[in-house]
Amino acid sequence: MRGKGAELQVKLRIQRFDPAVGDRRLVPYDVEVPEWATLLDVLDIVKDTVDGSLSFRKSCRMMICGSCGMRMDGRAILACRERMKPIVNAGHVPTISPMGNMPIIKDLVVDMGPFWQKIRQMKPWLDPGLAESPEKENLHSQAAMEPIQKEALCVMCGCCVSECNSMESDPEFLGPAALAKGFRLVGDPRDAKGIERLEGYSGEHGIWDCTRCYFCNERCPKGVDPRDAIAKLGAEAIGQGIDRDPGARHANWFVHSAKTTGWLRETELVPKTQGLVETIKQTKFALSLARRGKVPTPFPPHVAKDVNESRSLYDIVKKQGRSGAAGIVQGEKALRKLEH
Amino acid sequence: MLADQDPGPRRVAYYKGCLASLSTKELDISTRALAPKLGLELAELESVTCCGAGDIHEAEPDYYLHLNARILAYAQAEGCDTLMTICNVCTLNLRQADFQLKNDEHLRSRINENLETVGAPPYSGSVDVQHFLWMIAEGEGYEKLKEVAHRGLKGLKIAPFYGCQILRPSKLLGVDDPDAPHTLEAVIDACGGKAIDYPAKVKCCGFPIIQAREDVALGELIQPIEQAMERGADAMVTPCPLCHLSLDAWQQKLEKQTGRTFDMPIMHLSQLVGVAAGLADSELKFKRHVVSMQPVLDKIEA
Repeated sequence: MRGKGAELQVKLRIQRFDPAVGDRRLVPYDVEVPEWATLLDVLDIVKDTVDGSLSFRKSCRMMICGSCGMRMDGRAILACRERMKPIVNAGHVPTISPMGNMPIIKDLVVDMGPFWQKIRQMKPWLDPGLAESPEKENLHSQAAMEPIQKEALCVMCGCCVSECNSMESDPEFLGPAALAKGFRLVGDPRDAKGIERLEGYSGEHGIWDCTRCYFCNERCPKGVDPRDAIAKLGAEAIGQGIDRDPGARHANWFVHSAKTTGWLRETELVPKTQGLVETIKQTKFALSLARRGKVPTPFPPHVAKDVNESRSLYDIVKKQGRSGAAGIVQGEKALRKLEH
Repeated sequence: MLADQDPGPRRVAYYKGCLASLSTKELDISTRALAPKLGLELAELESVTCCGAGDIHEAEPDYYLHLNARILAYAQAEGCDTLMTICNVCTLNLRQADFQLKNDEHLRSRINENLETVGAPPYSGSVDVQHFLWMIAEGEGYEKLKEVAHRGLKGLKIAPFYGCQILRPSKLLGVDDPDAPHTLEAVIDACGGKAIDYPAKVKCCGFPIIQAREDVALGELIQPIEQAMERGADAMVTPCPLCHLSLDAWQQKLEKQTGRTFDMPIMHLSQLVGVAAGLADSELKFKRHVVSMQPVLDKIEA
């Protein structure tokens, strides 16, 4: 590889961690690489020529296997996707570290055990729900597969999970990768277990744990947009009447507010989300906010002018039948025009 | 002499959203008081509704698109080419719907038909949704800000807190680099304050799940407050009323949970600029905050 064509002098710092010693340290490296080198090429050269003990995962080198997820300057990336030339030209010395939200095994290698456990929890196989094997194939149209085309692009690299703000706070959260896989199954016309799956994903650490920080969409190197997949699961769950979770009740209250007064009925949001018993437990907190005018009285309601329009729109929308994930999928045609 | 003539205020449609009409009224009041000083004339939209806050997008996505199309349509009917938002969540919801309507003629015409059926104006796609922060952090708006913020924050240490939906997904927002944003820092600088840097300034405050998953949300909320405190911030500033509620009103829950005292005052963006621009107490409405702003105001007066 070396000695062919123009070369590039790359400086970078790599976070090293040796479990036998236990300390983490940033080690600077300075290597000559071909000018087309990606971060993965640089790591290979460091390992070959400077320190053979440097550990990182890799396989396909072409953004398909999802093995080389790591962080560059704190951002989760695929090492094979990052060209070094613009970074060197900018005079920047990047810091390379392992992905977040997963325990470090050695250097840039993280333990993806919990990641795969969550993927397994999604029962990641199609279940057509047939008692007997059919005699011939069951054809599906291209159009019927369209709703899950983004989710099908996932290479399970873990870049989304690395940055998930909710998972940082609740390590048991199923998280963006597993939930995107979940929609890939729920939205697949060949699967018959949608309701069962949605019930399963709607529990304590499921769909409604997502705080909509959008780090997953920002980081995904394949354009899966996991947050959007989670929204589609939420939409499907609510569309199927699986809406007992406080998160689903919270979402439904916004719809109810919009179609009655036009604006959020904020003070009633708490009992509608948490139920009466929990709300009573919060009385002291509520009073502390009320003293500052932060608990607006629900009466008289804050009603938008011409609110009858938003009421009628709701009736029309219900009649036109784009409830559930279909309502979100219809907007993806336009979103595809955005550069990722 | 033409160049010297004041072109007059820039007229923009004003979308205040739900929270600024309700529990964070101080945001609406201070924004209105500040706007004329910054050369902005706010056109009121009386008929608009909630943008859905991401919740309607999830519960009834087609209804979300209709409500947002209707908001954009009323802004257009006001004769405005800019719809100014003062909330991160409104910004993303409106920009996403706007992008979809502008780039999918089929979708737009179906929704317009429905808007017309209920007597609302149609939307042709001529409005640009801009957060107030973006309008004062760059270009002419920034020049105006520098003139107005003469009273100065006297080197006060301010921790900028962006929140999520003004940065990500960047392909729909796009003003700031989502990992190294600069707009809040630019505003703090123009107001004579000193911006504190800390990693959690681009992370989540937990507000969207604070009702449904309080413990998870508090685990997110503690990071920015703790980091801002450790780095010696006098106060924090945010462009989002949801973040403000989380940081200000839920701070007491963090204190109860951890047994620590934070006492971190939280300002809305309009209040930060308002202080520097010399707005009156009755326009800033710091009395509506849970965490007292008095220590910060005393420092400025000293």
